Amino acid sequence: MEDYAIKISDLSKKYQIGQLKSTSLRESLFNFSKTKEENYFWALKDINLTIQPGEAVGIIGKNGAGKSTLLKILSKITYPTSGKVEINGRVSSLLEVGTGFHPELSGRENVFLNGTILGMRRNEIKSKFDEIVDFSGVGNFIDTPIKHYSSGMKVRLAFAVAAFLEPEILIIDEVLAVGDADFQKKCLGKMEEVTGEGRTVLFVSHNMGAIEKLCTSGIQLNNGMIQTIGNIQEIITSYMQFNTSSVQRHSIKERRGNGALIVESLRITNEFGIEIHQIKSDMNIRIEMDYSIQNHAFDFSRLIVGIGIKDFNGDNLLLHHNRLTGQLFNNSQVLGSHKIIFTLDNLGLNVGDYSIHYSVMQDTEYIDHSDQVLTFEVTSQFPFNYQELPPKSSSKFLRRAEWSIE
Amino acid sequence: MSKTTITSASSRKLNLKELFDYRDLFWVLAYRDLRVRYAQTFLGLLWAILQPLSTLLIFTLIFGRAIKVDTGNIPYPLFALCGMSAWSYFAFVMNQSGTSIIGAQEMIKKIYFPRLVIPLSKSLVAFVDFGIALAMTIVLLFYYNIPITPSIFIFPVFVLLNILFALGVGIWLSSLTIRYRDFQHIVPFLVQLGLYASPIAYPAALIPEKYKVLYYLNPMSGIVEGFRWAILNTPPPGVYSLISFGLVFIIFFSGLWYFKKMERTMADLI
Repeated sequence: MEDYAIKISDLSKKYQIGQLKSTSLRESLFNFSKTKEENYFWALKDINLTIQPGEAVGIIGKNGAGKSTLLKILSKITYPTSGKVEINGRVSSLLEVGTGFHPELSGRENVFLNGTILGMRRNEIKSKFDEIVDFSGVGNFIDTPIKHYSSGMKVRLAFAVAAFLEPEILIIDEVLAVGDADFQKKCLGKMEEVTGEGRTVLFVSHNMGAIEKLCTSGIQLNNGMIQTIGNIQEIITSYMQFNTSSVQRHSIKERRGNGALIVESLRITNEFGIEIHQIKSDMNIRIEMDYSIQNHAFDFSRLIVGIGIKDFNGDNLLLHHNRLTGQLFNNSQVLGSHKIIFTLDNLGLNVGDYSIHYSVMQDTEYIDHSDQVLTFEVTSQFPFNYQELPPKSSSKFLRRAEWSIE
Repeated sequence: MSKTTITSASSRKLNLKELFDYRDLFWVLAYRDLRVRYAQTFLGLLWAILQPLSTLLIFTLIFGRAIKVDTGNIPYPLFALCGMSAWSYFAFVMNQSGTSIIGAQEMIKKIYFPRLVIPLSKSLVAFVDFGIALAMTIVLLFYYNIPITPSIFIFPVFVLLNILFALGVGIWLSSLTIRYRDFQHIVPFLVQLGLYASPIAYPAALIPEKYKVLYYLNPMSGIVEGFRWAILNTPPPGVYSLISFGLVFIIFFSGLWYFKKMERTMADLI
């Protein structure tokens, strides 16, 4: 018997550009011209790879790098243009959770439907049914049509079915991007269990944390080709360098203040608290400050927390602090780590580089302050109703505005 | 441990073992269709009875009473219902499986299973309507006091031919529709045309001799005649019906062949 789980040799897949979709009968009957070679693109090109049994491999790469195409070929959903894949073992692929779910059917019926689609036998589902319901936390709603479920419940039920698959090789595409944080943690735990059981796992995700946790080795794809193969840490590091984010967090070294409260780090997130790496002018952003209280040599309700934005030349563009809007903090905070959130609607900055500084004060005394803790670039793109951008020298800001004649 | 090899070379072989392994999927998909079909309707399954009943009523009024079609010693409603039972099965399967692959595109793009399961499962769903039509036929047989004769033993053969033909057309249409959406619009037209091009509301004996070859190029002609022979003990289908039966097999197997040919590119095309 061979010692590999998956062996990929010279695998290539090309797609036709444009006419990827079905054609009409008329086109087919009256269009005799051959499609030219330049109307193709290679989604995958000359992939060679061997995966050992029990290996957990993370596949990373930018959108369009060929990750999904590779998983689709391994799942037999689409077929290669050339090359060969040999697989030893029963494969289950999870390119989506809840495939085939029907809103009119009850949770119970959908478990059987989805489980069967995923390749489980009826008896297998029956024997695991209670565990599945238990894991999903859907409870008494199991006999309710799932159209009445919240989207979170649907995802939990769907993932629960998938979690009880017992293949030798498991292929997973970005399915953890759904559900709330608690459930994601639960799913990660379940998947760690699966990888720990010595199954071969192929995992695609943009969540580097999850990949690092689950995988031992990694593959970085770029433009349909393997850029690097190796240890998962190396791959993640190389990928991060390769994909520089437009937001740079700097460690806070030079501080000023008495240090009764210390700001540990700052990050820019979207409205939902998810960290963002590409900043655009018309975004609503949040700046989250993680802080820890060192001692109680200050009065919380008299605290002034400020955030400022400077442009690349060091000119101040914006300053805001909580007293400006009369939002004083209450005094109930105890020692420990917490975060302060500054929400800014319509960032409105012209394209370019900026830095963020912060200060925490009581009356006129600095508690903590540091410059340039975060630098970010607003990327070129037309915000609001702009058709072109004014030069930065004449307009530092981009605002929603209109013209008319009366 | 199972071993799989994936290459660019397309396999035209029908993997019956694999189809058998996925037998649960047939049932579960058919069950889903049935459950969903009458979900949130007030009358529920009663619709499956009302629909053929209303067609039967119209046929009886127009062809039986107004035009007075000659159906020999068979009462017209029974005569028509017998033909309708065969036709409704065929029309349902053709209609449903024709668009079945397009309808299941979300599944096809996300998971592997033998694609043939999808149109095949539609032939299971149609048995509900078929069963209802047959039950109504039996009721009428008792009502008109018409005895069941030994010719009933041939009935399974014609049921099988009906299934093969319905599936053959359905499989053809399901794979053609992926490539050419035009076929979506052809199906309703075929259903309408076929209803009158087959001996459902009238006996095939009405067709002039010189058009018989053409008439039996429609396999439903032979199948409907066969249904009547088996259930109502009318004269067996004539020699022309062999054209019908031959075509059933040609359409079914060529449909399988074309479906297998298209199967690998389905996820890329839809």
